[in-house]
Amino acid sequence: MKNNLLAAAMMLVFTAAMTGCATSGDLEKVQAQEKLNSAKADQALQDAQVAKAAADAAAARADNAVKAAEERERIADEKAKRADAAFQKSMRK
Amino acid sequence: MSRAVVIALRSHWFQLVALCAAIVALNGCVAMKPVEKKSWPQSTHLAKEIERTEFPVPGGDDVIGRLAVVRLEKGDTLPDIARHFSLGINAMSAANPGVDIWAPEAGQRVTLPLSFILPDSPRKGIVVNLATMRLFSYKGAGQSLEVSTYPVGVGTKERPTPIGQMRVERKAARPTWHVPSSIAEDHRKKGDPLPAEVPPGPENPLGEYALYLSKAGYLIHGTNKPASIGLKATNGCMRLYPEDIKILFNDTPARTPVAIVDQPYLIGQRNGVLYLEAHKPLEDAGSGAAALNRLYADLAGIEKKSRRHLNWAKVKETVNEARGIPVPISLESGRETDRPIEVAHPAKLYGKPEVPDLKMGKWYVLAANLPDEMEALRMAAIINHQGPPIPARVLPKSGSYRVVAGPFNDASEAQSAARRLKIDLQIEGVLFEAAKA
Repeated sequence: MKNNLLAAAMMLVFTAAMTGCATSGDLEKVQAQEKLNSAKADQALQDAQVAKAAADAAAARADNAVKAAEERERIADEKAKRADAAFQKSMRK
Repeated sequence: MSRAVVIALRSHWFQLVALCAAIVALNGCVAMKPVEKKSWPQSTHLAKEIERTEFPVPGGDDVIGRLAVVRLEKGDTLPDIARHFSLGINAMSAANPGVDIWAPEAGQRVTLPLSFILPDSPRKGIVVNLATMRLFSYKGAGQSLEVSTYPVGVGTKERPTPIGQMRVERKAARPTWHVPSSIAEDHRKKGDPLPAEVPPGPENPLGEYALYLSKAGYLIHGTNKPASIGLKATNGCMRLYPEDIKILFNDTPARTPVAIVDQPYLIGQRNGVLYLEAHKPLEDAGSGAAALNRLYADLAGIEKKSRRHLNWAKVKETVNEARGIPVPISLESGRETDRPIEVAHPAKLYGKPEVPDLKMGKWYVLAANLPDEMEALRMAAIINHQGPPIPARVLPKSGSYRVVAGPFNDASEAQSAARRLKIDLQIEGVLFEAAKA
């Protein structure tokens, strides 16, 4: 019985000791991993921000192009209307 | 087991047959395509001619003529197409919304609105509908009733053509224009004083023929500005194309009754189908609203009396679009005759202004130097369609487009054209002589 208890106690101590060592090593690894993950996340965030900025810029460029095309169309329409109004006036006696 | 094999073999057999059928079908389709292309030779499918001005009026029918389409060619303008087919520019523009009047795209198909609902007025003598800018001249009666119809230019908002019943008081070939004091004053203000009388000739706005109406000061006459037909451009008179007034003049005896009406919404029937033709009302918004109310009341009355159902959605759409084309509005299906006929592009458009070749030693007017080709083409076309015509063309020059009017025989002729460009179109032209080589 005593022997059994002793054995159990030793097992516990050994396990605790082993566990302790493993936790300390792992902690460093985990910390390194965390750092890496954090750096990766930062990079991903930065990439996403750059991509978003690029997308926003592209969207803005597209908007501007559409606006410019609309403006050109409006100006062309106005020119056509002005030309036609001048023509109609010139057709009077 | 043997059954499974048979089924498998059958399955493969079916797959093989299906594959072969698919290949044959595909080959068939491919083989048919060129045949289809070959079977669309334009010359055999396109009508060479279409009736434009003279129509029988079968008893009880109110709709005459037929819609057509024509494919535009490079250099065409809507006023040229309109004149060739005896249409006004108003009708061409309304029937073809979005098409550039002066520089339309080559290859584009445009509608020729050559179908008309007769105005709601007694069918005798001459009837002019101001809203549609069209004149109807009736001949015969009953079953032999015929109508000739021509587009007209009418009075402006400031000087509108009067509505009412009148008659042809007298006729004159090669009339002299006695300039009314109001018009003389307008011209004096513009810096373009007119003589008291303008003799017959190219400067005379009455053209070659005139019908003087019983309402003093109002005439049905020709014009020296054919592109103004279908515009509100007169001082109350009604203008016709030179070729149309000649026929009307010869067909119309003195004392012929003339009814001038303003009917933007026309209802009529042909072969039992009810049609609506809607035009944009003239400027007076009040009369336009009243005419619209009358239209809806009339249609409701027709629906109740005839016990047939009308397509009210179509009525609304037709009124909103105001394309000036008769549209079937009863629930009966449209007839074959409602489909537009495709007309071949004429080799030469009647009355299209001609631009003589550039010649050395002649005089020219540089009307503009523009960065936009379309704008330049438009300006040249507008100058070409002045009355009397001023020849003009676009000459590309290192990224810009020069609009050049001419050739003119001498400096004074060029000066006169430049003066007209300034007064009529506010264009400041620069004179130059193309030096001889």
